[in-house]
Amino acid sequence: MAVTLADKAWQRIRRIPPAYFVFAILLVTLAVLRPHMMNANILGIFIRQIVPLGILVLGQLLVMRVRSIDLSGGGIILLINYYISSGLFPGTSMALFIAMAIATGLIIGTFNGIMIAKRRVSAVIVTLAVSIVLVGFVQYLSSGKPPGDVPAIFATAYNTKLAGVPTPVLLWIALTILMALFLSRMVFGRFVASVGENLTAAHFSGVPVERTVIVAHILAGLMAAIAALVQTASIAVGSVRVGLDLPILSVAATILGGVVFGRGEGGVWGPFFGVLSFALLFILMTTLGVDEPGKLIIQGLIILLAAIFYGMRIAKP
Amino acid sequence: MPPSSPDRLTGMKPAYLKLLTGQGTRQGLWSLPLLIALAIALGLSLTAQQFTSADNLFNLITQAMPLIITAIGQMFVIVIGGLDLSVGSVISFTTAILALDGPAYLLIPAVFLLAAAIGAINGIVITRLNVHPIIATLSMQYVVLGITRILRPVSGGTVPDVVIASVSGSLLGIPLPVFWGIAVLLVAWKVLHGSRFGLHLFAIGGGIAAGMEKVPHNFGVAERRNILLAYVTCSCFAALAGIFLAGRIVSGDPNVGLLFELDAITAVAIGGTQLSGGVGALHGTVIGALVMALLANGMNLTNVSPFIQTTIKGLILLLVVGLQSRKRMGL
Repeated sequence: MAVTLADKAWQRIRRIPPAYFVFAILLVTLAVLRPHMMNANILGIFIRQIVPLGILVLGQLLVMRVRSIDLSGGGIILLINYYISSGLFPGTSMALFIAMAIATGLIIGTFNGIMIAKRRVSAVIVTLAVSIVLVGFVQYLSSGKPPGDVPAIFATAYNTKLAGVPTPVLLWIALTILMALFLSRMVFGRFVASVGENLTAAHFSGVPVERTVIVAHILAGLMAAIAALVQTASIAVGSVRVGLDLPILSVAATILGGVVFGRGEGGVWGPFFGVLSFALLFILMTTLGVDEPGKLIIQGLIILLAAIFYGMRIAKP
Repeated sequence: MPPSSPDRLTGMKPAYLKLLTGQGTRQGLWSLPLLIALAIALGLSLTAQQFTSADNLFNLITQAMPLIITAIGQMFVIVIGGLDLSVGSVISFTTAILALDGPAYLLIPAVFLLAAAIGAINGIVITRLNVHPIIATLSMQYVVLGITRILRPVSGGTVPDVVIASVSGSLLGIPLPVFWGIAVLLVAWKVLHGSRFGLHLFAIGGGIAAGMEKVPHNFGVAERRNILLAYVTCSCFAALAGIFLAGRIVSGDPNVGLLFELDAITAVAIGGTQLSGGVGALHGTVIGALVMALLANGMNLTNVSPFIQTTIKGLILLLVVGLQSRKRMGL
């Protein structure tokens, strides 16, 4: 009896996404090693920097739950950053820029979705190729030189605070709540879960599999566009390198958050804490003076350990 | 073809359609990329005078060789439905090791041992710890890149003379890279298409693509061991490509392998190998790598901006994979 109880408790623990443990461990480490960093203002600034990643993750978790992946976010961010900062469209208002960005994200998301769901092309290849095409296109247009400045209104909006919390962070939390409600309250959430659990069974149960995958990719494109707007506002200048490592990091944060590749499991808050863990990790590495190679190694090991933790769970369900 | 057509149900297709679509064959769609390669070569020989010169052709081979070697290695893991994203880092790592001050007879075996160890770790993490190949090799990419940057933060150092001579020298008037190519192709052909190991890889990949992972196992294929060996092979080929590149650039460079894994995957995909596993052929991969090299060479000869070259490569990849349809959806 005691053994089964312990087993059940162990199983419950193993069901908790690794992100929560990683987050707790990093928070304690930071509090012990650098107590003066545990300050709402300083943490707020660091968390504000991670918001583009957090928003990108909202799309990533959706497509990863339907057994797909989206690596085109880097290209989308670069393209949107380019046409906001290049001065190609002088005198355009902020609202129009936002509309253009969202249209771009929706179009690219639709393309990804149709290629993956209808043509059944490997999602890794399609989204990587789309990213390569967009990055090359932007570098061709800008001849590899950083374009101009971002209109000041973006930076102003980025620096505002509501009730002491930076607006970008609020936007991220609001979008996360929306996504959580969308997945738990709407039929679409059930479709996502069933497609991720078993594609064939979902098909024969009358779930519109292809449509679900396409919609997931469209939403991922939309999230990438919003992430691009926040990222552009945060750096306030044009760049030809911005956001290129974000898609990979978003996959890592999503896995840390308990969404498993090729399985329909996972929630929204696990990946949310996965992103926060990355924010803490960056703070910790920066304050401890870890240099660039060390950061790469630690980042790789954390992704690996999270994946191993989850892989062991799959092995003995 | 409408879904109700009987061909779609039985999977029977006329031979010419098989060749054109690659469906229902084990070798994948390699005829179309061959036509593309020939079309590019023909177009270049007509428009750019210097294309057909012996110098340029040998240059083309030298340029294409690292990609051909890496892509062949990558093919071993793609055939079993995996992916190895760490090969680019392994290439940079190899050049960094070779540029350490040391005798060639120690450095070259060390490079292969380290690469095999990286591949073995990838394989163990994937087979024993049930981590998805993309994640396992992605984290390996970070770790190896980090170690490379500690070893050699910026490019520099000199690689052993033997390595340089093996790339820049010539025998009987034929540049040595040609012999590299012949040797690599013979070995890879024997291993992939002429050995039990290769056959088992195709069996495992076919099983995974069809969603029945246990079937090859029940027929006596040691799945885990073969998958592990495939990742070791892939890493060793990447190390070989790294040695070739080190000989060409004469120094160690932590960034030389950057994004190489993507080029390799593109070459394999262009060559008709299915990324879901079980379908593919060595000649397809070589053709795919040649298409990429011809494109780069041709666009350099005709002064196309290097930035738009990336876009064109991506569009070709999209076109080629869009033309192959498969059953499995997702990754």
